[in-house]
Amino acid sequence: MRSEDDSTTTNESTDAAGAPGSVDELIPDSGGSTDDRSDATVRSDGGTVDTDSPFETTSTVTETRGDRIDRFLEEYIRTPWSILRNDWRAMVGFAIVSFYIIVGTVGVYLVDSTYPAHGPQMVGAFENWDFPLGTTSAGRDVLAMTVHSTPSILIMMASGAVFTIVVGTFFGVVAGYKGGIVDTALSTITDVFINIPGLPLVIVLATLLEDWINNPVTLGVLLAVAAWAGLARAIRSQVLTIRNESFVESARAMDLSTRWILTKEILPHLMPYIVVNMVNAARTIIFAAVALYFLGVLPFSDANWGVMLNNAYHAGALYRPSAYHWLLTPMIAISGIAIGLILLAQSLDRVFNPRIRARHQDVGGDETLEPDAEDDTKEMMNV
Amino acid sequence: MTAFQSDATTRTNDDVIVELRDTSVEFGMDRGTSKVLNEVTTEVYRDEILGVIGESGSGKSMFASAMLDAVPEPGVTTGEVIYHPEEGDPISVTDLSKEELRQFRWEEVSMVFQGAMSSFNPVLPIKTHFVETLSAHDYDIRRGLTRAKELLSDLYLDPERMLNSYPHELSGGMKQRVLIALSLVLDPDLLVMDEPTAALDLLMQRSIVSLLEDIKEKHDLTIVFITHDLPLVADLADRLAVLYAFEFAELGPSERILEEPAHPYTRALLNATPNLSAPLEEMRPIAGESPDPVNIPEGCSYHPRCPLADEECETIDPGPYDAGPDHDVHCHHWEQSIEDLDIAFEETSDSGTTASAVEKASGDPLVSLSDVEVTFGSANDGWLDFGESETVTAVDGISLDIYDNDVVVLVGESGCGKTTLAKTAVGLQTPTGGTIEYRGRDIWEGASGSTLADKEIRRALQIVHQDPGASLNSHHRVRTILEQPLKRWHSDLDGNDRRERILGMLEYVGISPPQDYIDRYPHQLSGGEQQRIALIRSMLVNPDLILADEAVSALDVSLRVGMMDLMIELQDTFDTSFLFISHDLSNARYIAEKTGGRIGVMYLGELVEIGSAERIIHDPQHPYTKALRWATPELEVDQVAEESPMRSIDIPDPTNPPSGCRYHTRCPEAREVCATQTPEFVDLGDDVHAQKSACFRAYDDHEYWQSESITDEHADANVGTDTDTDSGVTSESD
Repeated sequence: MRSEDDSTTTNESTDAAGAPGSVDELIPDSGGSTDDRSDATVRSDGGTVDTDSPFETTSTVTETRGDRIDRFLEEYIRTPWSILRNDWRAMVGFAIVSFYIIVGTVGVYLVDSTYPAHGPQMVGAFENWDFPLGTTSAGRDVLAMTVHSTPSILIMMASGAVFTIVVGTFFGVVAGYKGGIVDTALSTITDVFINIPGLPLVIVLATLLEDWINNPVTLGVLLAVAAWAGLARAIRSQVLTIRNESFVESARAMDLSTRWILTKEILPHLMPYIVVNMVNAARTIIFAAVALYFLGVLPFSDANWGVMLNNAYHAGALYRPSAYHWLLTPMIAISGIAIGLILLAQSLDRVFNPRIRARHQDVGGDETLEPDAEDDTKEMMNV
Repeated sequence: MTAFQSDATTRTNDDVIVELRDTSVEFGMDRGTSKVLNEVTTEVYRDEILGVIGESGSGKSMFASAMLDAVPEPGVTTGEVIYHPEEGDPISVTDLSKEELRQFRWEEVSMVFQGAMSSFNPVLPIKTHFVETLSAHDYDIRRGLTRAKELLSDLYLDPERMLNSYPHELSGGMKQRVLIALSLVLDPDLLVMDEPTAALDLLMQRSIVSLLEDIKEKHDLTIVFITHDLPLVADLADRLAVLYAFEFAELGPSERILEEPAHPYTRALLNATPNLSAPLEEMRPIAGESPDPVNIPEGCSYHPRCPLADEECETIDPGPYDAGPDHDVHCHHWEQSIEDLDIAFEETSDSGTTASAVEKASGDPLVSLSDVEVTFGSANDGWLDFGESETVTAVDGISLDIYDNDVVVLVGESGCGKTTLAKTAVGLQTPTGGTIEYRGRDIWEGASGSTLADKEIRRALQIVHQDPGASLNSHHRVRTILEQPLKRWHSDLDGNDRRERILGMLEYVGISPPQDYIDRYPHQLSGGEQQRIALIRSMLVNPDLILADEAVSALDVSLRVGMMDLMIELQDTFDTSFLFISHDLSNARYIAEKTGGRIGVMYLGELVEIGSAERIIHDPQHPYTKALRWATPELEVDQVAEESPMRSIDIPDPTNPPSGCRYHTRCPEAREVCATQTPEFVDLGDDVHAQKSACFRAYDDHEYWQSESITDEHADANVGTDTDTDSGVTSESD
């Protein structure tokens, strides 16, 4: 079939003659080989075979850098946005999380920091507009304390969550996919961390690392030290099922790199799970931090939601209605970010679903021809 | 059959057991209403077997569910379903209350579903399932259990043993038979079977289908048998109904449907069904695809695929035309269809069959397996290991040579080790013994873990999986899926070159326009298109041998021939060798005969016979091949119901295979020597390599011929205590 190359003009087919055994053989030319195919022009799944050389009819438009950037934007920005736009949970979650981020970045410049005897003692909320959320028994502004503790809390949360996810996913995916001795080693490490009692470890480490602990990043990682192992175990078990799927076997048969298989073949299937876990980890970190500040386990130097709770408690806010605002403000701040994160996680689930992605792109032409409709029906019919 | 026809003419309304009038089933969906059963009107007669045939997504399961008013939420059944009991007034099934429905199902009409595996509660013994059913319907438990035992022994099962087992202790075929017994324990009049054998092996399918006839006679049943497999019901059913796009295309006596079908779809379907006797040239795929349930075409739903379609078909829904006694056809042009559309299509020029297996089998082999052994599970090493030794030898000492441009089809029952052997041959499964050589080099040389060291060998051996949905990563677009092998093996190509190449390949395999498809996700493709993508993905790395693991069995019947044709064409164009796996002898024959390849028959981890397609199909030497041949249904009505060529329905326990020739426990020709000596391969062909069989009967003078026959004896002692054999046919005889 490679004998009549002169009938085609594309580069590929001229290469073909000189390189037997290469992929160029795949290019059927328009010569004699078409004759024995002519009786098979109609395909049973609806396609037809053009008896002319397929390479002559392909698009001659070359893809520019602009096209590639455009495709990247489509993939990672426009499509997720289009999916999330129609989901109230995403919108509310985004609004809440953005509000915290704005407060943590811009807010600290708008609200002056506070100091003891900044104002009168124990002003209630919404009584004095100099101190909208009232003051503490030392006369510090509650609003200012809340706002100024936001950046460190957010950083701590983010670093703890990222640490949990990165370490947990790495251990889980590699152990699950590689198996054998690698699995044994990584799983043993994981098991050790699962079995370490988290709270005492954090208390001990907090004492040992006293100089570092005021850095929110260190604190976040410290609080996550015992959290990642559970995630690693869960992910490992997921990977164990995915690694036996046909598409992974095909990828191995084609000798794609292990990195590609792990990050591009296996990881996308775990993304919804990972994102939900990331948000959960962030929540756990903030709860743990606040609890430890409240208990006085963590050393504290400056204001912080947990520290505020601690102070309010010691000032008897639990039974003094005049001090309720001192207690409620940090509580609302903590609950608010937790709710925002949960809503966001629930909606991000949809972003990773290829069915929903496809619906939000102008791909594949006629919407009514999409065969996934049939699958939907099948799912509904429990077939 | 003649008896049946006289019945048919004297049939009155009293003989109707269930009647459907304008019955529709609808599902509300985002994109509109999906009609999965479209105004069907039909009757089922008492004491008949009605075969309902349809491709996947033709509404055949909905037809079954509608008959019992059991359509799952949120589906809505409209129209009338009327049940006529033997005595008393007709019952409108759709008007029954929940309690009445509960009584009605199982006592009057019962159903056998597809997945026998999931129909049992795994933590309850079989007996409890029977007792629960009986007590839920206020039946006398003791009498009911007596009936259950009788039913079980009718189905060639050991009643005591079955009732005391847990579901996991039974094989798939046993479970399916127990399920049939369970559905009959309340003595219903009508049995609806929805793909009852689809998950089973050919031999088991065939055995169950032949049991159904006896069961039906003995218990005065009416059976509605729903399947996608036309040949399976062809000789069982009295009448056949062909479903297409959620309504009946044709309904009539079996022999009329098979010999003189009137609907163009039925004719096309018959031509698309691979079987053992028809000439290959007659097999044609059906062009086009089944319609989407949301957009059923106006008029006749088959018109987009029909060669006879005209304007009338596009606008007017064809009502039932009378094409003979009891033969209704929904086609405006059924007379023309009988005249113009031959079942046997016009002779196509024989495409000069490629070099025969014999000629190819010369020269150096491409891949050579010698004495390959694969064992799963862990042996009891005696140290702190209290469990029993649980090793299964999936492949036991098989040698096989695959040559350049060669095609080998492996057939066998599930669990016979054919997939394991094939995966070992392409280096995706590590053998526990023996060697695999690629062009004379050991492929596992220097390998670490489960990856081959030599990347060139890795490239040369590729795989196409059974389920096209699972073999493509659902998170990637077609572009990404096809780009990766090119990036890995043709790093000299830039993005535009790759794109061009992918577009060209897509178009070559008939996916057009390719620009539309390149950005699609796998779920936006049909099963046939997915399989094409998977096929060209493995082609893109330019392999020497492709393993096609049941690559067509997940596709619709009407697409299989088309897919096989494409594979053969690609094999021809790119000089690849194919190693096919199939459990279906008719598919195996189609491929092997068209390419001049060989068929290898496997049984319990051993290759028992190998040879060219003609020899294996028309002159099988090994008794097991003969049994497979028997189990492959033919498209003929008045087929003589042959005796099963096996002494036992069930496969022996693979953890404890029989000694000697492994088939001797089921073999009708077995003699004493078979239980002790293992037969070697014997060359049988006049030509070299044409056929080899591992059976003593192939020798002219062997002590086999002097040995005592063991076929009359009770199942052997050396089969072990807990194997399936003692529930088989033989044990029932004493």
